[in-house]
Amino acid sequence: MNQTITRRRPWQPAQVGLHLTILILLLLSLIPTYLMLLLSFKNGLQYRWERWSISLPLRGSNYGASWQVIDAFMWNTLLVAVVGLAGVLLLSLIGGYVFARMRFPLREPLYYAIISLLMVPWVLSFIPAYMLYNNLGLLNTRWALIIPNLAGGPIFGIFLMRTFITGIPEELFESARCDGAGVWSLIRHIALPLSLPGLATLAVLNFIESWNSFLWPLVTISDASLQVISVGLFKLSRITNDGVDFGAGGPLYAGYVLASIPLVILFFALGKFYVEGLMESGIKM
Amino acid sequence: MATVPKTEQDAAQPGARAKVLRPALGKARGSTWGAVRKSWQAYALLSPIFILLIVFGYYPPILGLVRAFYRWRPGLPATFVGLENFTSYFSYAVTPQELLNITKLLFFGLFVGVFVPFVMAELIFFVRSQAIKEFYRLLVIIPMLVPGIVTILLWQKMYDPQLGPINDLLRALGLDGLARNWLGEPATALYAIMFVGFPWVWGVGTLIYLGGLGQISKSVYEAAALDGCTGIGRVYRIDLPLVLGQVRLLAILAVIGAITSFQNVLVLTDGGPGFATMVPGLSMYHSAFRGQQFGYSSAIGLMLFIVAMSGTILINRSIRPTNEEVTR
Repeated sequence: MNQTITRRRPWQPAQVGLHLTILILLLLSLIPTYLMLLLSFKNGLQYRWERWSISLPLRGSNYGASWQVIDAFMWNTLLVAVVGLAGVLLLSLIGGYVFARMRFPLREPLYYAIISLLMVPWVLSFIPAYMLYNNLGLLNTRWALIIPNLAGGPIFGIFLMRTFITGIPEELFESARCDGAGVWSLIRHIALPLSLPGLATLAVLNFIESWNSFLWPLVTISDASLQVISVGLFKLSRITNDGVDFGAGGPLYAGYVLASIPLVILFFALGKFYVEGLMESGIKM
Repeated sequence: MATVPKTEQDAAQPGARAKVLRPALGKARGSTWGAVRKSWQAYALLSPIFILLIVFGYYPPILGLVRAFYRWRPGLPATFVGLENFTSYFSYAVTPQELLNITKLLFFGLFVGVFVPFVMAELIFFVRSQAIKEFYRLLVIIPMLVPGIVTILLWQKMYDPQLGPINDLLRALGLDGLARNWLGEPATALYAIMFVGFPWVWGVGTLIYLGGLGQISKSVYEAAALDGCTGIGRVYRIDLPLVLGQVRLLAILAVIGAITSFQNVLVLTDGGPGFATMVPGLSMYHSAFRGQQFGYSSAIGLMLFIVAMSGTILINRSIRPTNEEVTR
């Protein structure tokens, strides 16, 4: 903020205190993460006697043992998340374009009909949606995991993409139209490349949500071979607690680490869009 | 779609120039139906999303609204029972406990969802170095890189009576008397659930506030500094009033979250010990998926919806963001 004052006094106790406070808060919030990494490298005995410090040898084999149990959960979650995400991005891009750039009767009422669903908390739909999927014979299929995302994701997606596409200068569309470009071509060659940051934000938000989903798969998926990672880890943690050994903890914690990897990769690839998207969301709403 | 004649397309999506001509054209044709017919392409593009929304977006909540007044079990015809589901919820012995718990969780949720991120955002905002500020902005996201369920399960381990770090720490400090089964004792279980995530650094909330603070124009701060308004005084008199829009958004999210979520309780205690940590949402879950009482469960869902909605409206009315003049 006040750059000039900073330069006059390079070392300020207030600023040091500030940095310390922030770092202590961040470190405290990382304790469970530290615990997870630490325990993922221990076997049963090390877990028992040297819980909170690094103990050699590091049991890297925990990761292999864990992967053999959770690989199906990981692939299932990834498949469902990616298929759903592709659909959400497509529907949001098209919807955003139509509401931002086309003129037709009932445009605003239709738009608000979609956006109003943002106001309906999932708690009202949870039970009846379960019954609907039950009646449609969708329980215990991958569709039960993909469809909610396809129907729910574009609600916020259309809101976000409309703001982005409205911000693109009309002249670009106008001149393309003069050159005879059709709707698909306008979407593909103008709206899509110029709203990539919006799509990236949407992709991060949507993927995190899919990767974290727990209650819905818990009730709709009973077949272990279709189960997602959150529910899979939850059930494995219960087995450990009941004494049937999933390697006295070690492999379980390795599983926790493995389950975090997709989010870490996503963060390094698209974290910038996520941070910017969130900072703007409070301004727009 | 690609074979549509060009003229048809142009009419369906007139550009900025055509916007001026539009009212005249509309009058000349003299019918809304003509405009609807010309716009078939827009409707065609929107049809997939609307089909999905009608079946999976609008239908379930409407069904829930209706079936809250029915006795409804899988495989049996639903029968209308009036307000029976609601009266039986309120005459259930555990309900007062559930309402007390959710009230505590609501106030705590506002603290964690509205106040803590504001403090975190202000701390980062006061950092002078732009580079370090951006670095902190990335760091607050790190707790979110672990899946939500893993965070909860790790905290369950933190509370483990024999092998957990919290009791280990207390014993190491010679405070053996304080070590206890935090999640297993009625007196501490609910507070232990609240303590999950301490110190509750929440990247989403922090970044939403930082976005709002970044919008405040430099001239406002310069004027304030001239008047001797700095530090805490500035936070209270300038920053807070100018991020009321963000406060409102986060307060709404906190209220909806506190009223409707029960995932932490389900995983950590499942409502126990006894009924010490029961909340209405968990009651809804139990009665549907363990009791097969889907009508009763829908009634609880409907009540939670009404409470969350009223909270949202109340917050919308009571928090009014300052006008935009002073922001950039």
